[in-house]
Amino acid sequence: MTSITDTAPVPATRTAAGAPREKRRSPSGLVLTLLAWVVGVLFVLPVLWMALTSLHSEPAAATNPPSIAAPPTLQGYRDFFGAGAGTTPWPSLANSLTASVTSTILVLLLSIPAAYALSIKPVRKWTDVLFFFLSTKMLPVVAGLLPIYLFAQSVGLLDNIWLLVLFYTSMNLPIAVWMMRSFLAEVPVEMLEAASMDGAGLTRTLQSVVAPVVMPGIAATSLICFIFSWNELLFARVLTGTVAQTAPVYLTGFVTSQGLFLAKVCAAAVAVSLPVLIAGFAAQDKLVQGLSLGAVK
Amino acid sequence: MTATSVDARTVPAGKPRGHVTNRRAGVGRLAFLLLSPSVLVLGLVIGYPIVSALRISFVKTTEGIDANTGLITRTTGFSLDNYTNIFTGETGRLFWNAFWNTTTFTVTTVVIETVVGVCMALIMNRAFRGRGLVRASILVPWAIPTAISGLLWRWIFTSQGIANDVLNTHVLWTTEGIQSWLAVVIADTWKTAPFIGLLVLAGLQIIPAEVYEAAKIDGADAWRTFWRITLPLVQPALVVAVLFRMLDVLRMFDLPFVLIGRGKMSTDTLSILAYNEMSNLRFGPAAAYATVLFVYVAIVAYVFVRVLGADIVGRGVGRSK
Repeated sequence: MTSITDTAPVPATRTAAGAPREKRRSPSGLVLTLLAWVVGVLFVLPVLWMALTSLHSEPAAATNPPSIAAPPTLQGYRDFFGAGAGTTPWPSLANSLTASVTSTILVLLLSIPAAYALSIKPVRKWTDVLFFFLSTKMLPVVAGLLPIYLFAQSVGLLDNIWLLVLFYTSMNLPIAVWMMRSFLAEVPVEMLEAASMDGAGLTRTLQSVVAPVVMPGIAATSLICFIFSWNELLFARVLTGTVAQTAPVYLTGFVTSQGLFLAKVCAAAVAVSLPVLIAGFAAQDKLVQGLSLGAVK
Repeated sequence: MTATSVDARTVPAGKPRGHVTNRRAGVGRLAFLLLSPSVLVLGLVIGYPIVSALRISFVKTTEGIDANTGLITRTTGFSLDNYTNIFTGETGRLFWNAFWNTTTFTVTTVVIETVVGVCMALIMNRAFRGRGLVRASILVPWAIPTAISGLLWRWIFTSQGIANDVLNTHVLWTTEGIQSWLAVVIADTWKTAPFIGLLVLAGLQIIPAEVYEAAKIDGADAWRTFWRITLPLVQPALVVAVLFRMLDVLRMFDLPFVLIGRGKMSTDTLSILAYNEMSNLRFGPAAAYATVLFVYVAIVAYVFVRVLGADIVGRGVGRSK
């Protein structure tokens, strides 16, 4: 009886207390909400404009100021994907996909054991190891370009997508180790000790204790690695030619030859950025968490 | 894969006796085995080129004609010329110009992006309708390839472009001058201020509501609350975000390259300078520029970590010691 009368009013008071608080805040709150919306729109506006232009016909795209009301058409996309200029973007998109996905998988295979060693079972001097990983972030990538080019030339790996896979793997490895370590540090030590007391081996511990805690971390890390590899331009531009060129490289070439056709170029840009945008939208929560590199936890 | 095979070896060794010491030794070996593939890959793919670049930077190649055979000979030898040349004469002027650009880009963009980012985070740190959508939309500039954002902004900044329309001016944004420097700053802010904003937002969301309530009871106004409570509590997240941004801007290459083009006094950074030398097949000077840039970045990072005490390693430090 008492328990029923006790529990019943609680939710009622909670909602009652919650509702007025909302209302009290609303005049200035409305302004802040509007401001947040304006900021959001402001940042996404150039990209929206690009997407809009990609749906216009060439004459409509060329008008200034841009017209919103122009009838939408997929001609720009047809021109980009269809062999309008005698080339198609499909091989380059496939190359980008191969390079990004494969390097991301490799990064995970390498970084998870390393991060595990650095977080759950701390090595002596492990901070030194971490700083070694960080220091590779200070290196100007331009410096490595020439030796890698010369090496690739001597072993015949120029214009080979696997060279990019290898490079992207090591490019993303430091940040992946860094992020995975902070996620693995979230695994409570007590749980690990309990698992080892129960006689669970490493595989078992990984499977049933560590994995559930770090899965979001793995998702965030792989997304970031995918985005970075997909977007990389400098190395792809120098190390690949016609066979292994990636989508951003193809795009820059396309812009050079078709730069005057705004709708076509915009369609190309949208098509090339679509994979990373989808990846980003699909996991924005995890991405934010992962981007913070564990610094805020 | 490695993990399971290692496991099979270490566990029987640890079991018989001396549980603690043996286990620790086993842990050390295990950690070594787990770490070595990553260190090896980094050493080969990142370390080797860097060491090789360092070697190239100390080598001077002189071409001459052999008096006896009449063939062109190349003699190479150890030399500091690549470094001394950087600081003297015409190349010295280019170097200090690029150094100045790199530094001003870093200071300006990091300051603007931090202020804008913190403001954005403060606005977004409230529950409001459509917060997820706003957050996703400000992720867009960060996620799309720089090749595309550079293109987008070049288009905005053309003489007949949107920027001039909106401002009602006729500025030639992408030509030599302060305006092209400004264009790069604007485009970079657009691209990465949201990134800082999201990092700070993640930091803001772990500040307990009680702290703010206590401040309210003590009669602190909004401004005081921000300086005395929000900022100190969000500082660890902010410092790391700023450090990583600084490391990136100091090495900035693609944005000015795509947006303005290379060979411009007002926007050439040290990375672009190194790239220019390389594409002119002047490998020694290119490597020297890259080395100088690396030293500069390392010094900035070191000072930053020392002065602001950036806890880049996170809370794990306290845990393992």
